[in-house]
Amino acid sequence: MNQPASLPLVASLLDAPLPPSGIAWLDAARQENRAAFAIGGLPDTRVEAWKYTALRGLGQRRFTQGDAAAQTRAVEASTLALPGVSGVRLVFVNGAFRADLSAVDSLPAGLSLQPLSQALRGDVEPLRFALSRHYRDIGDAFAQINAASAGDGVVLRVAAHARIDQPVQLVFVGAEAELAWHVRNVIELGEGAELSLVEQHASRGDAAQLATVVSDIELRDGAQLHHVMLQDAAAGTNLIRRSSLRLHARAQAALHVLELGGALVRHDLRAELIGDGARVHTRGVFMPHGRQHIDTQLAIRHQALDTTSTSHWRGVANDRARGVFRGAIVVAPGADGSDANLTNKNLLLSPSAEIDTKPELEIYADEVQAAHGATVGQLDERSLFYLRSRGIPLAEARALLTAAFCRAVLDDLPNVALREHLSTLLVAQLPA
Amino acid sequence: MNSMINDSSSATALRDNADVAEALGRSYSAGFITEIEMTGLPPGLDEGTIRAISAVKHEPEWMTEWRLQAYRHWLTMPKPDWAKLNIDPIDYQAISYYAAPKKQPKSLDEVDPALLETYEKLGVPLHERAALAGVAVDAVFDSVSVGTTFRKQLADAGVLFCSMSEAIREYPEIVQKYLGSVVPTGDNFFAALNSAVFSDGSFVFIPKGVRCPMELSTYFRINAQNTGQFERTLIVAEERAHVSYLEGCTAPKRDENQLHAAVVELVALEGAQIKYSTVQNWYPGDENGVGGIYNFVTKRGDCRGDDSKICWTQVETGSAITWKYPSVVLRGDRSVGEFYSVALTHHFQQADTGTKMIHIGKHTKSKIVSKGISAGRSSNSYRGLVKMEKGAEGARNYTQCDSLLIGKQCGAHTFPYMEVKNPTAIVEHEATTSKISDDQMFYCRARGIPEEDAVSMIVDGFCKQVFRELPMEFAVEAKKLLEVSLEGAVG
Repeated sequence: MNQPASLPLVASLLDAPLPPSGIAWLDAARQENRAAFAIGGLPDTRVEAWKYTALRGLGQRRFTQGDAAAQTRAVEASTLALPGVSGVRLVFVNGAFRADLSAVDSLPAGLSLQPLSQALRGDVEPLRFALSRHYRDIGDAFAQINAASAGDGVVLRVAAHARIDQPVQLVFVGAEAELAWHVRNVIELGEGAELSLVEQHASRGDAAQLATVVSDIELRDGAQLHHVMLQDAAAGTNLIRRSSLRLHARAQAALHVLELGGALVRHDLRAELIGDGARVHTRGVFMPHGRQHIDTQLAIRHQALDTTSTSHWRGVANDRARGVFRGAIVVAPGADGSDANLTNKNLLLSPSAEIDTKPELEIYADEVQAAHGATVGQLDERSLFYLRSRGIPLAEARALLTAAFCRAVLDDLPNVALREHLSTLLVAQLPA
Repeated sequence: MNSMINDSSSATALRDNADVAEALGRSYSAGFITEIEMTGLPPGLDEGTIRAISAVKHEPEWMTEWRLQAYRHWLTMPKPDWAKLNIDPIDYQAISYYAAPKKQPKSLDEVDPALLETYEKLGVPLHERAALAGVAVDAVFDSVSVGTTFRKQLADAGVLFCSMSEAIREYPEIVQKYLGSVVPTGDNFFAALNSAVFSDGSFVFIPKGVRCPMELSTYFRINAQNTGQFERTLIVAEERAHVSYLEGCTAPKRDENQLHAAVVELVALEGAQIKYSTVQNWYPGDENGVGGIYNFVTKRGDCRGDDSKICWTQVETGSAITWKYPSVVLRGDRSVGEFYSVALTHHFQQADTGTKMIHIGKHTKSKIVSKGISAGRSSNSYRGLVKMEKGAEGARNYTQCDSLLIGKQCGAHTFPYMEVKNPTAIVEHEATTSKISDDQMFYCRARGIPEEDAVSMIVDGFCKQVFRELPMEFAVEAKKLLEVSLEGAVG
């Protein structure tokens, strides 16, 4: 079959030395994951999870790993500024923590936030569970290389019952140089804790990059998380992310995801509802244009009693772009009282664009309400007619309806200033 | 008038059938074994086996070559493992690829009485008496067709309806033109195997402008032990021709798994319409999951001409494992594909079934209605693909998949794939999964309806949309089948 190591990308990623940690279990896990990557290489489109995302082009490229000049790369303040978000901020440039751009001086009570590179010098035991994982699946290539190579990232903890009022901003900037970088985040909300998180992916310059970001997010009993993910990377960025949430009893997570930029973008978003009464709500929009390829793989597992999930995702593909969406809902045996709902609506704006969508239901319990729906099509003719009959030109009517179509996913975002800003970004992405 | 007689006689047959079922404690009623002298090939598969099958059937050289090519290709293919099925490894050398009743009848009158009795028991009218039923039947027993009724009446209308073996001998130019043109020999693992070793099946050819005067039907029966059944059906409807075709299947109860790998090809030319209905009731294995048929079937229709239409309707209650995706390639402009399916699994049955609608032509339309019912410890998956190619201007698809769960240990899954490359196409998919609601049950119970009857009423209502698409005789049989198959699912 394929000879993984012979692919330029795989060879170049294996070239770089592993980041030394001096922690025996961590070094062992890095070795193990690296060895698995060396054997398995990149998944091809015969691997179900990568059916619609071919890595042939990416596989032919070479990237040097890590950036020696990461501390000196210029990043404008405007890249980091977000309306409705001020206060605590952690910034990473090409995968390395930048103290000068971050704001962690006055952390609110109950919040502990530091870069992984620092955390590894302190008490590492709490990180052991997340960082000693071995990824074995054939589709896990990027998680493997991330686990082997990521030397920095976010370590965030909220103490039990602490309510953090100000949103915490995490910014990942890819800057200028052609290289690969990896970031590993570990986030935990204690019992009854509340946090609002804004995760931002941005770029400076158009250099081709490969970036992998793996985040583990643990929500203890009754914890509440609002999480906004804004991905607005430059056209040269290949960005592969995996966000895994685990929700304990009565925990709640609300996610708003905007996938706007990048060249080849892949996001594996997984939520496991492992405690009774846990709830997860995901809202997202992906808007590939030009020759972008944006792939979102959403998987929600109901594993406990009376768990709820709702997912509403929109896709708009223009030019020669391709949008891929998979929305899988699994209700495990015994997860009675599960209520799962997923919709994915898509618009195709150009004859050369493509949308591939695959909502899935896998149900092993019978006291269950599960439904999904997916559509691919155009704007509603009647709505267009309504607007035109009121004197709005066709092009404008289209633009209005398309903007409304995308904005719908932001409706229940509580941060008004941020919502308005994101809404403007969405509209800017649409064809004039 | 004819149809009234038809209804009452088939109703009688069904009542008889039902009585047998009742007597057997309402389990798998078609599970008996017919004692009849058989001839066949010993188990094993190599080029010799294929030449032997070809020789027994007096096939022309091109056919033998076609089979061998398929076989050589099959040897290079990996076994597919993408379906949500647990399949014990199949030993292809332990299967006998050809079994036939020893006495080959020249006409229906010479058919072995034991055989006729078999079909009588199954409620399939083969004999003159059945003229009343008004359905032309091709009966396939293990590897060979044992009789085709109404040949003359059909021939008068210009319709060719016979077994595949005969067609290869008598209408080689038609067979050669269409065989393998919808499902190529190397299409998939089981289609390649079928192409190499297929023994018989039905052949239907409806010439230009002809509306087939009666329903055509094939009844498949696996009887012999350690055999596999590999039938191949080809239906060609020329310009503006219409045909409705029914297919039924049963097998005896045996402890080992038997393999059934069929290929069905439909070709609809301009303005033609083909309706293909299946009631699949192969032996599903017992309540402990022992035995049962492995049903790996490739069914595909090709709407080659503009304004053509192909409609698949299936009721799947049997088989230990079902792997089946009746598909339509919508090549002609304004062509229509439809798929209606009820799949019921109980005990340890596994089904991975669905459809593919490939839209190539302009303004093509497809509709998919799939109802899955899982009970016991079974697993029931819908897997479907709707593909809108670049040229599918204004194409439209609507898909609805509903699953019903009866019991705590079963699984119901939905895996729809949608690939859209044309901005004017519209694809819609909806799916729900739930159990029979307590409200519905309470309503029925409060009116004195016993629990089991209530379940069967609700299931019947759940499936109504599909049953409506079945020809009358089949709809009654299908409803009965569901009741019997759900036996013991509640309580």
